[in-house]
Amino acid sequence: MVTLEFFDPSGRLEVKQPHARRLDALAGKRVGFVSNEQWQAYRMLPLLKSLLERDFAGIEVLPIDAFPQGNALIGTEETAEQVKKSGVDAVIIGNAA
Amino acid sequence: MQNAISGLGLAPDAAMVTFPIGLFLPGSDIAPVEARKREFYDGLTRWTPSVAGGAGGASRVIAVPGATFEDALVNANHAMLANQWGDGLPLWPPTRVRVDWILQGTPRPRAHALGTFPPRGGVATVETCAIALAMAGGRPEYLPVLVAAVEAFLDPESGSEQLQAASGSAFPVVIVNGPIGRQIRLNSGFGCLGPDPQHPAGASIGRALRLLQQNVGGARPGVGTMANYGGLRYTNVVFAEDEDNLPAGWPSHGTERHGFAPGQSSISLVFANGATNIRRRGAKKETPAEDALQGMHRMADFMRVPNLAGLAGYERGAPGILMIPGVVAQTMTGLGWTKRSMREFLWEHSRIPAEQLRRAGGYAWIEIDASQVARESAALDPWPITASPDNFVLIVAGGGHPTNSYWLQGYSPGVVGREIRVPEGFGRLLAEAERDLGG
Repeated sequence: MVTLEFFDPSGRLEVKQPHARRLDALAGKRVGFVSNEQWQAYRMLPLLKSLLERDFAGIEVLPIDAFPQGNALIGTEETAEQVKKSGVDAVIIGNAA
Repeated sequence: MQNAISGLGLAPDAAMVTFPIGLFLPGSDIAPVEARKREFYDGLTRWTPSVAGGAGGASRVIAVPGATFEDALVNANHAMLANQWGDGLPLWPPTRVRVDWILQGTPRPRAHALGTFPPRGGVATVETCAIALAMAGGRPEYLPVLVAAVEAFLDPESGSEQLQAASGSAFPVVIVNGPIGRQIRLNSGFGCLGPDPQHPAGASIGRALRLLQQNVGGARPGVGTMANYGGLRYTNVVFAEDEDNLPAGWPSHGTERHGFAPGQSSISLVFANGATNIRRRGAKKETPAEDALQGMHRMADFMRVPNLAGLAGYERGAPGILMIPGVVAQTMTGLGWTKRSMREFLWEHSRIPAEQLRRAGGYAWIEIDASQVARESAALDPWPITASPDNFVLIVAGGGHPTNSYWLQGYSPGVVGREIRVPEGFGRLLAEAERDLGG
């Protein structure tokens, strides 16, 4: 019997920060969208907004253009700052990749 | 998407609602969004990551048994494919002995971190590079080129963060300058973009880079990379400029584009996503001047296509890499052409008339580009395919024959250079290569 031992080539991962804490409920919360403005986001995200507003009392869902849109802008620190300053409790990111 | 999440330093998991591609196409029925609304709501309220965190520390060791060595070798190859670490071609298992041998090719400590590979965010160390090079059939004297290429790849200027995962099938092109090209048997002549038993280095180095992209970076087709086609990704493209045949007065690419001293071994990394041969030579009784001019037009005409690949590097990247054989560069220099005048000709004659750009829907892509320079270029008619003639990468390489040139269509936000650092005792490694592979 022969045994070949070799290295796993996938390298290690470093987890540097936890995921955002989830909300206890959606009623009465403030939710925003960060959109790449592609892949039918202009249809799907407004639909999601209307569903949330219909299903949860007191929820405030910001319009899809409340924050900068497009792949060139949504990953910037400036956009992240705007999202933080807006006071939203949660953000939905779309659409596809 | 999990790759992108881990690439941000989070546990590799995310609250996602995924749909088949049809939902995302124009005119689709988006009713499934409502049908699955509960999944969106749960993602905001109840979701928890299924993966607590990544592994830390040194590379994990896998043990694969077999009745004989050959049996174990087969089983090791099966295991590497089963773990999605392979590329479908046979691999050398990266044993400690083989990895330690390859690590002789660098002056750096094996644990030295070069950065994190996007989109997955796996940590690339010198050891990880040696592991990939071992799998790809490499040798220690190749490691300095691979390490420099990885450094350039991980430089944000290269655009690798987007291109690793993007659908446009980008592959890195590594152009080597300086004496190391000849020393380690990189091809710069006939067949320099393909397999060559006389010059095996490029295939191993490029394959190792690809394995790093896949295994450390998570770029597996349809999962971590959405490249529609993925051409030239078995080995990427790694070759040397044919510096022996540069015309008098032509700086090498490394010196001209990156400012490296003549004779300094270096790499230059450019992303491309297309490759084509261009018939350059005339066929009848052209004068040398006519032959040169017709060839220049044929090359420029090929670049004048409204598929907008060059937008990725419009401002300071590259619309592509034009490779011409040394004999052509020397002939054209004799006719009065210079590297600069060739670039200016190509820039001027590859401009696209506005009407052609309009009918192809090109302006929509220009208008949403991240670069202000690119967006403002929409006012130009004919539209230049890149902001400046200097952006064309013009390389002397290929066999000593005047008929063809080669165009690697650029898809590269930047062109990144790195000096190559070799260890003390590099000459001994080269002598061992001569012993092993012949003089």
